[in-house]
Amino acid sequence: MSLLKVHSQQESASAEESIIDVKNFKVFFKDLQVLKSINLSFPQNSITCIIGPSGGGKSTLLRSLNRINDEVEGFSCEGELILENENVYDKNYKPEELRAKVGMVFQRPCVFPKSIAENVLFGLSFQKKLSRKERAVIVEESLRAVGLWSETSHRLKSSATSLSIGQQQRLCIARTIAVKPKVLLLDEPTSSLDPVSAQAIEKLVMELKKEYTIIFVTHNIQQANRIADNIVFLCDGKVIEAGPKSQMFEKPSNEKTRSYLNSEFCDC
Amino acid sequence: MNRALVNIIFSNLSRVLGWLALVLLIVLIGAIVIKGAGAVNLEFLTMGSSNFGAGGGILYQIIGSIIMITVAGLLCLPLALGTAIAQTAFIKRKSIQNGISMLVFGLNSVPSIIFGIFGLIFFVNILNTGISWMVGSFILAIMMIPTVVVTAFQSMDSIPTIYRESALSLGMTRWQMVRHVLIPQGFSGALTGLLVALARAVGETAPIMFIATAFSGVTIPTSVNEPVATLPTHILILAQNAVDPVALQSAWGASLVLMVLVLTFSVSGLFARLSLRKVSQR
Repeated sequence: MSLLKVHSQQESASAEESIIDVKNFKVFFKDLQVLKSINLSFPQNSITCIIGPSGGGKSTLLRSLNRINDEVEGFSCEGELILENENVYDKNYKPEELRAKVGMVFQRPCVFPKSIAENVLFGLSFQKKLSRKERAVIVEESLRAVGLWSETSHRLKSSATSLSIGQQQRLCIARTIAVKPKVLLLDEPTSSLDPVSAQAIEKLVMELKKEYTIIFVTHNIQQANRIADNIVFLCDGKVIEAGPKSQMFEKPSNEKTRSYLNSEFCDC
Repeated sequence: MNRALVNIIFSNLSRVLGWLALVLLIVLIGAIVIKGAGAVNLEFLTMGSSNFGAGGGILYQIIGSIIMITVAGLLCLPLALGTAIAQTAFIKRKSIQNGISMLVFGLNSVPSIIFGIFGLIFFVNILNTGISWMVGSFILAIMMIPTVVVTAFQSMDSIPTIYRESALSLGMTRWQMVRHVLIPQGFSGALTGLLVALARAVGETAPIMFIATAFSGVTIPTSVNEPVATLPTHILILAQNAVDPVALQSAWGASLVLMVLVLTFSVSGLFARLSLRKVSQR
């Protein structure tokens, strides 16, 4: 299994440090093995796109990184997932602490039936007490970070469901970064959006990598080409190849990778 | 047969059946209103009964019924809501979830007289509580649990998975997720179920007649182990004295009052359901 190594010259030194290491990781749903011995490292402050055909295990891998798969009946796993020198699947590791460090945005935007400001604070306010002033600062910071501030600053108290779908997805990202995670997981965040909103999300993600490590699942190869620093090609529960974008697109070492990136065809 | 003809036959048949059901309902309610209206007046509603129920009013029956079902509702709500929460959020194995559902539906299909006998044997005889309205409340609460569990469970279960996963992904603990995502939705569902269940419970006679009620000589209870008088048991006894026209008139009057009480719960249940739909569609 190929370890993800960063060769690209454009990458800064800090990017070479990995934040999450996946070691010999296997996932089962009941008797069905969905991920087969995954070994990967995700470099810090960069965008890693996970691509591959549907049913290949992209979402399963992503959802294992913050243990949200624990919620699914019949889930079990083997191997290690190291974040900051700790195995997050250790018995004593609390999933809510992990999820505060590794936030997640889903395919379809999901805002709570509350105001825009309450949505931004929804996760954070359960982790610590905040003064009124702190709340205002965090709401503004988070909304600015996702480019929603100018559109919503005058109506923070109106219902979040009154926003467009694209704005709702950005609000979901704002809500996630308000918690100040280290890693952002995005599971096909643009697939239910119109092209303009999708573009806004792509631009936003490129901005956010300065502060966060981003792991982005997409089935759209062009999108991966536009935003990724590194690419993981996952098929049939295995990592076929992983590496910097330039290497993956220009001189992939595996024939399957070339075939998938050129024609979206994979016979694995 | 020609399909146009089949269409005409069946659409008219269903129309006729629909009207038939409506007419039956109107006749039934109409009869109670017409027969009962003569008996109901301010005195009837504000006086205790005299002459073994044949004379006087039904004040203590109304109060007894309301006390018993209010306490039953208060006992039932936390139990049922807790069951529904456990079932949606804390029990992951489908087989155990289904097992709980089966038990709940089983409880719902137990005939009400069995609850009465159970109450008589378990509370009155074994625990030696005597005939007490509190025991009646316990038994009615148990009878109401299935309806409330099912409605609360369904309203929480209908919350899309992504809401739970979004909340958990923000670092909320399971309890925080339950408290702030599931309960706000489930509670209004449980309340709807509770009102529907109360509407049924207030009219129950069989489960309480051996264990919680007395026919005459009771007023407002001053402790938990006293019997009360209730509307349905009052009607039962009066109807058994049907030869006395005054008692019969009183029974129609009590029936009308009981029906209005049931209707109040049912209609508020309907409104709760409508406002719940608005919340979930937001």
